[in-house]
Amino acid sequence: MMVETKKIWWMFKKDLLVLWRHPPRLISILLFPIIMITLFGYGMGGTLENIPVVVVEQSHGQVTDATLTAIKGMSLYDVKDILTDPDKGKQMVQSGQVKAAIILPSNYDNLSDTQPKSVLVDVDSSDQMASSAILPATQALFSQVSNQIGMQKLEAMNLTSAQSAQSASAIQVQSNQVAAASQGINFQSIMNSINLQIDKMYGNIDYIDFLVPAVIGMTVLFGCMFGMGESLAGERERGELARLFMTPTSVATVVGGKIISKVTVEIVRAIILIVAAIVLFGIVINGSMVLTFLVLALGALCFVGFGIMISARVSTQEDYMQMVMPITMPMMFISGVFYPIETMPWIFQKLAYVFPLTYVNDALRSVMLKGAGVGDIWVDIVVLVGFTALFFALGVTRFNRDI
Amino acid sequence: MKYAIETFDLTKQYGDFLAVDALNMKIKNKSIFGFLGPNGAGKTTTIKMLTCLIFPTSGTAKVTEYDVLKNPNEVRQKIGMVPQLVSLYGDLTVRENIELCADFYGLQEDLKESRADELMEMVDIKYAENKLVKQLSGGMKQKASVVASLIHQPEILFLDEPTIGLDPTTKRVLWDLVEELNSEGRTIILCSHDMYEVELLCEDVGIINQGKLAAFDTPQGLKDTMIHEIKGEKTPKDSKVSKVIEKILEETDPEDKKAVEYIKDSIGSDDLDLKELSVMISNKDEKLMDHLKNLSIIHDIEEHNSGRITMDIEDSDEAVTQVISDIIDNGGNITSIATKDPSLEDVFMRVTSKKKEKGVDDGGD
Repeated sequence: MMVETKKIWWMFKKDLLVLWRHPPRLISILLFPIIMITLFGYGMGGTLENIPVVVVEQSHGQVTDATLTAIKGMSLYDVKDILTDPDKGKQMVQSGQVKAAIILPSNYDNLSDTQPKSVLVDVDSSDQMASSAILPATQALFSQVSNQIGMQKLEAMNLTSAQSAQSASAIQVQSNQVAAASQGINFQSIMNSINLQIDKMYGNIDYIDFLVPAVIGMTVLFGCMFGMGESLAGERERGELARLFMTPTSVATVVGGKIISKVTVEIVRAIILIVAAIVLFGIVINGSMVLTFLVLALGALCFVGFGIMISARVSTQEDYMQMVMPITMPMMFISGVFYPIETMPWIFQKLAYVFPLTYVNDALRSVMLKGAGVGDIWVDIVVLVGFTALFFALGVTRFNRDI
Repeated sequence: MKYAIETFDLTKQYGDFLAVDALNMKIKNKSIFGFLGPNGAGKTTTIKMLTCLIFPTSGTAKVTEYDVLKNPNEVRQKIGMVPQLVSLYGDLTVRENIELCADFYGLQEDLKESRADELMEMVDIKYAENKLVKQLSGGMKQKASVVASLIHQPEILFLDEPTIGLDPTTKRVLWDLVEELNSEGRTIILCSHDMYEVELLCEDVGIINQGKLAAFDTPQGLKDTMIHEIKGEKTPKDSKVSKVIEKILEETDPEDKKAVEYIKDSIGSDDLDLKELSVMISNKDEKLMDHLKNLSIIHDIEEHNSGRITMDIEDSDEAVTQVISDIIDNGGNITSIATKDPSLEDVFMRVTSKKKEKGVDDGGD
């Protein structure tokens, strides 16, 4: 037993020494998590802001001023100009100078007018991201303005009945999506009789918050899977493993040493990634930090096991990579790293449950975003332990000692 | 007699391909055994089975007193191997690699350092103990590999192409080392394509071809066998065929050498009937060369840039004497003479070119 411990210690020490003596490889391993989180954080995790728009006002008065103040006060919009000609506003959208033109009608400030006031929003629907952000925000804005006008009218007319209040309907917002065959979406905002309350159960979760746990899982996945290629298939190819297998040493001992060194490196990388996410994007981990790392360690074990299973029979690093790539790439997209699994086509939803990354992501999100405990993620843990046991059993029993 | 290695119908099959076919071989204890075979003959597969890197499909082998199937770890403890591809970790130092191997063989802590020092001094690599293996030359890597393979004092050392790619000086250092290790009582199994190396070092030689042991003897024994075989293959002088051939040759104009050569080729006469004589003549001129070319006992003559002349002459002592006398009688000043007998390489070529023949059983007995 003592001898086996010594051997495992050697495997661990050897891997760390090799890493230490390869500064470019060490730097790359440590920088990779920071690059990943920066890339995803800035590239995909932020909220849309400062979308260029133009406002067309065709009347002057208190309502227009209040509306302009409200539009300018929203970080979503960057008001490039305030025009009076609706056609010019439309042209600016078509030429790509702005993403939308908000056109206020000519009767906008006439409070005595009982006719609905139609606000037209011309949106560049070729920019899906911008249009999907502009439309609900603009709708909400004019719903609010509509309520205020309604209330003013009610006060002016001194009416109390709900029927009268409804007849004081305010603004009709027309959205005209310019690039997409000018398909207009008409909707009417009426003064709300229902008070909608939104309770964000886990606080204000941005996309970056949703993304970070999965990016950590994905980084561990790539680190383990590609790392095992160099670690086992590479050493086999260079004949280094053969030296060990000529000694009276079991496959389990050699593999055990590899696992310890790889999981250690991956935990260090995960720490770097989490620290980078906290420092750069102000991520808050709602659950237990210890549980977060335990899930990560279990995930790393599982992926290392997967790598061992694949490398059990391959003789070159290239063969290993060719076998691993068709598995890791779909796993990354299907396991809910970027989008919730429930939004994917049904076949992908089913496939997602055969990939361990799905369970790592689910457990990490539960702990980091919802503050879940072991009792909440036990299914994920059991499945991951099962996968890990299966991979190791197959990997160790199928492992080829041959040079 | 105690054998270091005994194989019993040792067989390895990969799908339809029979890599090693019921190999039976006995290697003497404390000997240097040369294991030869062309690429793909089953040599490496046999070595892998004997070193417990792979297991036989059927049959078995005993290495020292242990069975490769029943006691693989005991076998591994008793053997060392210097593989063809140096398998030390390039990013570890020589000493780290040796210590790693020592721990993998379960060597006691207090023995580890002293034995590593002793072996490094023996192969003269102590001065590079703190260098990374990847920074060493090919010869130094091989020396480090030898130390790593000997750290647990194995009884049998397998050397797979140990001198491939090494310069002549380093080769000789390794040959001396092999002889020294053998004199300490170790059995050495040497796999090599360098016939000179094998002839120089090995007590016994086994040649494997198409998965079977095609020859097994001492190097001299193999050469003698080949000479006898060749003589036995020659057409008997009193046979009917021989008489017909002689008649045809009598009727052929002796000047028409092409026709004579064609007839000889047709009846299977080959260069093995001839002896190669090589002479260096300091005052060689055209007259002397013309004279030699016209001698009937010289079948072929070739002048080399070095000034040396090589001749294929009839394989008899009288023929050598006659050619030398002729050169001297014609004023030639001979500065060196060499004749070439069949070498181990000739034996190897002959044995391995034979198609599907029955292997040699119980080699070494």
